[in-house]
Amino acid sequence: MMDLRLPVGIFFVILGVLLETVASAQAQLTSVPVNTYAGGAILVFGAALLLLARRAKRL
Amino acid sequence: MHINLGFIDYLIVALYFIFVLGIGWFVRQNVKTSEDFLTSHHSLPVWVTSLAFLAANLGAQEVMGMCASGAKYGMMTFHFYWLGAVPAMIFVGVFMMPFYYGSRARSVPEYLKLRFDEKTRALNALSFAVMTIFSSGVSMYALGKLFQLLLGWSFNQSVLLSAAIVLVYTLLGGLTSAIYNEVLQFFLIVMGFAPLAILAVMRAGGWAGMAARIPDVMMHSWKYLGSSASNPMGVEVFGVVAGLGFVLSFGYWCTDFLVVQRAMAANSMSAARRTPLLAAFPKMIMPFIVIVPGIAALALTRMGSGYSLPMKAGGFDYDQSLTSLMVQLYPTGMLGVGITALMASFMSGMAGNVTAFNTVFTYDLYQSYLRPHQADRHYLTVAKATTVGGIALSIAAAYLADQYNNIMDVLQLVFSFINAPLFATFLLGMFWKRTTGHGAFTGLLSGIMGATITHGMTVAEGKGGWIATVHTFPSTMAQNFWMAIVAWITCFVITIAVSLATTAKHHTELTGLVYGLTKMPEAGDDPWYKRVAPLAVVVGVVVALLNLLFW
Repeated sequence: MMDLRLPVGIFFVILGVLLETVASAQAQLTSVPVNTYAGGAILVFGAALLLLARRAKRL
Repeated sequence: MHINLGFIDYLIVALYFIFVLGIGWFVRQNVKTSEDFLTSHHSLPVWVTSLAFLAANLGAQEVMGMCASGAKYGMMTFHFYWLGAVPAMIFVGVFMMPFYYGSRARSVPEYLKLRFDEKTRALNALSFAVMTIFSSGVSMYALGKLFQLLLGWSFNQSVLLSAAIVLVYTLLGGLTSAIYNEVLQFFLIVMGFAPLAILAVMRAGGWAGMAARIPDVMMHSWKYLGSSASNPMGVEVFGVVAGLGFVLSFGYWCTDFLVVQRAMAANSMSAARRTPLLAAFPKMIMPFIVIVPGIAALALTRMGSGYSLPMKAGGFDYDQSLTSLMVQLYPTGMLGVGITALMASFMSGMAGNVTAFNTVFTYDLYQSYLRPHQADRHYLTVAKATTVGGIALSIAAAYLADQYNNIMDVLQLVFSFINAPLFATFLLGMFWKRTTGHGAFTGLLSGIMGATITHGMTVAEGKGGWIATVHTFPSTMAQNFWMAIVAWITCFVITIAVSLATTAKHHTELTGLVYGLTKMPEAGDDPWYKRVAPLAVVVGVVVALLNLLFW
């Protein structure tokens, strides 16, 4: 059975990278760099899932 | 309100479509028998089933509806999670899962057949099959309408595109594919909406700033429940605890095959029992992601921050709380993630209904009454055909809802009558060996009648009272809670009375199905976090603390 952490991890890594490419985009009502922070968090989450999947494969 | 998506937003939507279809494609090689397709052959790890258990209930109507309730009623909406879900999730994990999983029943209606008789199974299977189709259709209809309003997409395109994607991935990998995608959808929903909650609260001046701008009654979950007149929900403590916290909540989380099916797909009895317990942790956090933004939206409106809740005739359009916040607080990029998260929540709701429908139809209706004793290959083909048929019927239901909105309201009301007494049947069936099939069937029908008559004889917000008006409730929510209480008590009493007057099954036929005649699973040498009892205690303590903290 496929390790689900692999596709989900890849998905979120790509999503995080996409958000970082539009880091400068501004929302109507806030100057907080939302894409930078959220993209970073999503990227870290995706990478963590990939690491866990890799570790499980080694065991 | 209209959203203009940028290229990156469309790219994110496309990425999501590619991944959900890809997961279906990779899972398809594991589907060889009807059990692989319909039940995942009890093969999935507990972290997957736990998140799917939660995601199957996390449809977009719930996400948007809870945000709207947050803006309208405030923290009393938390009760739908901390009172109206978590205690029932503890109960199903600790006490009921040993019977569902241990009996090797493939569905909840099949458990009813083993425990009671064919007629009780048929009543549950038929009503459940019809309900899932209409629920899935309502989900598609809501998606079509929302995207028409927000993105300017045509209703037809939205409905057909979402249906086609759900069809392809469930047809390829069956329940496993649906569950795997529910996990992806769950993470996406959290990633898509959690930043919105943080931004909205920050913009409203933090928790203290938010509390300063809205009435005190909206910042407490229990404090104003003393009487129905002192809170905006129009409910009082007994109605909330007995109606929502017991009858409706336990009726849904403990007996609805849509959620129970996720736990039954787990790879061991221990994993099946821990599924709802582990799901309870994210469930306890969800109010901060879906309800708090609604409360913050009201605070933002009152502080003149440049944001205002959309208006409609007669006041605020609370249903648009979530989407209006997204439009103003998300730039392109996160806007795409938010829209994709909404799409994911619609799809997880749809796929959950379709996979529950195809299992109940194939095993409980087709195999039981239409063509028994066929080769497994035949049932696998029927299951796949039922998936196509289920999606086609859901599309038809979506168009029916578009044409005749009132019909869907009536149908949802009828379904609430059917669901209300169910938990009494299961409670007696699992914990009292004297309960008989005749008792269960008569009790269920009486409970449904009890709910119907209560609705016919009471009025709330102009609804009900079609027989006579003997009582007026301050809100439809209070009416629903009391309708459920009456249905449950009627079913409970009639089931006991008829059971005592009829002959019960012999003990040997009830082994594995009833408490006292079933060997309960032992904890073994697992560490505490893998054992059911300690986990249940931790969940119970955390939920109690949350209730106290936001009293």
